[in-house]
Amino acid sequence: MTPGEHPDGELSDLNIRRALVAAISRADRERAGQLLDYWAARHGYAAAYKDLLEPALKRIGRGINSERFSLAQAYVAAKVAEDMLTKSAGSFAQNSEQRTAKGPVVLGNAEEDFHALGRRMVATMLRSSGWVVCDLGNDVPAAEFVDKAIEIGARVIGVSAMTVTTALNIKEVRRELDARGLSGRIQLAVGGAVFLVADGLCDEVGGDGTAPDMLEAPHLFAELWARGERFEDAR
Amino acid sequence: MNSLQRLQCLLAGEMADRRMFTMPLSQYSAALTGCSLEEHYNDPAAYARGQTAVRETFAPDILFGPVIVAAIGEAFGSKARYFDKGPPVVSTPAIEAASEWKGLPLPDPDRHPRLSYLREALRRVVAEHGREVPVAVLLVAPIDIPGLVMGLDAWLETLLFDRPAAEAIMQRVTPFAADLANRCFADGAAFVVWTIGFASPGFVTREILQEFSRPVLVDTLARVHGPVVLHHLEFPLVANLDVLSGLPSVAGFVLAQGDNLKRARRLLGADSILLSGPASPWMRRAAAADVEAVCRKTLENRRDDPRFILASCKGDMYIDTPPANIHAFRKSVEEFAGDRR
Repeated sequence: MTPGEHPDGELSDLNIRRALVAAISRADRERAGQLLDYWAARHGYAAAYKDLLEPALKRIGRGINSERFSLAQAYVAAKVAEDMLTKSAGSFAQNSEQRTAKGPVVLGNAEEDFHALGRRMVATMLRSSGWVVCDLGNDVPAAEFVDKAIEIGARVIGVSAMTVTTALNIKEVRRELDARGLSGRIQLAVGGAVFLVADGLCDEVGGDGTAPDMLEAPHLFAELWARGERFEDAR
Repeated sequence: MNSLQRLQCLLAGEMADRRMFTMPLSQYSAALTGCSLEEHYNDPAAYARGQTAVRETFAPDILFGPVIVAAIGEAFGSKARYFDKGPPVVSTPAIEAASEWKGLPLPDPDRHPRLSYLREALRRVVAEHGREVPVAVLLVAPIDIPGLVMGLDAWLETLLFDRPAAEAIMQRVTPFAADLANRCFADGAAFVVWTIGFASPGFVTREILQEFSRPVLVDTLARVHGPVVLHHLEFPLVANLDVLSGLPSVAGFVLAQGDNLKRARRLLGADSILLSGPASPWMRRAAAADVEAVCRKTLENRRDDPRFILASCKGDMYIDTPPANIHAFRKSVEEFAGDRR
């Protein structure tokens, strides 16, 4: 399958892990896909995700040589995860491999925000981690976020914003949750590059949590989901 | 000494009476004159009145034409949404796929209403202040233009997975980018600032930088007839300055708040102008004393560097930034000059 990196043509698990991190870091989607297919052929797609792709994404998320990964690398990582999701869906159907669905959660860009890329990548990472995601798209009014969360039983709403100006519109989502007595029960995740440079912005807009990048999003949503459950149990 | 004289000192590598300082106060100037943003982004006279207010209130050493990158997307046919408390953004890109570029006419910088607004506003600011204060205009480099025309996703997808198509898009975009910059020089811009997101380590890999972004910049900058300052846009840029040094027409770089300025100077050599300072989103919420402290620290870092300008980074100053923070920025420069005497 893949060009041999080992004298006998076999790739060790360790070498595959290293090669996958290197491929995603080079933004080489094709090579990453080959490595995952190679692993899946021996261990199945569920294991390829859990034991290979997920640790590779965590490794990349920690930074390569202390440099943060680029948007291009993150985009390729999301594409690779999306490819895996497509392949594994077929595999699950054929081989009865099962993954427990998490969620559902609601995602969208803040009202007046049209920067879709980050939101889409977060949605991909969440789905590839097993979350059921209802993506409302760009420029979503606060009430629509909350209406949809109630409708589908979501415990987490994720709102993305690119600039301070649009991030401030997230306050309306918090007001909406407060007004309907849903704060605590439904957690508010916020994100976007601006949250990395504007100190205190997450608190200012009423967010319950944020993540530094899309690779950390599944962890943040899991944490907030659990917090929402604890809040509910305590009532 | 006026701001233009300070700039002449800086270019000669000599220390002026004090450091130059600047920040884009484009939307902020509307707040100073009580002008709605709708009028501000449509009426060149209203914009120019705003820059006059900026000069009277804060006296920065560089004034700016309108910071309105969405206008470049609009010129290509994208739709923009205008707001009452922030700058316009592209809401619907003109096209969705690389293949659609072939049928897309290039905008005429003399005729398109949004570019006419931008240039007329620039001309008015130059006419009123240009004899004493240099006036700059913020545009986008050709590598960043497709994001405004086809959306960031589609541009990234093309760049990553269909390099020949990305190169074909650049063949179309580079003459426009150079032409617009040259017309702004003809309008009196002292220099043009180009955002270079797609040459920054936060956006692209080294391979893309070396094999794609740099060659495009070399090609376009060779056609530009005036000084260009390259802007980090979002993320720190210093890690890529080794590849970006030596580009034609480039007078300097605006670097991020977290960039290592000593390393930048080593990589770029003594002649390049460096601009850096606090980021605009940070300044919006910081205490004035903290703004002053960060500015002071940056000035200390560049104490013996004659070609350094204290400048806010990341983008246009937010409209709700406390005036005290902008005054603190200026005060740091004046007090630093006093300490040096």
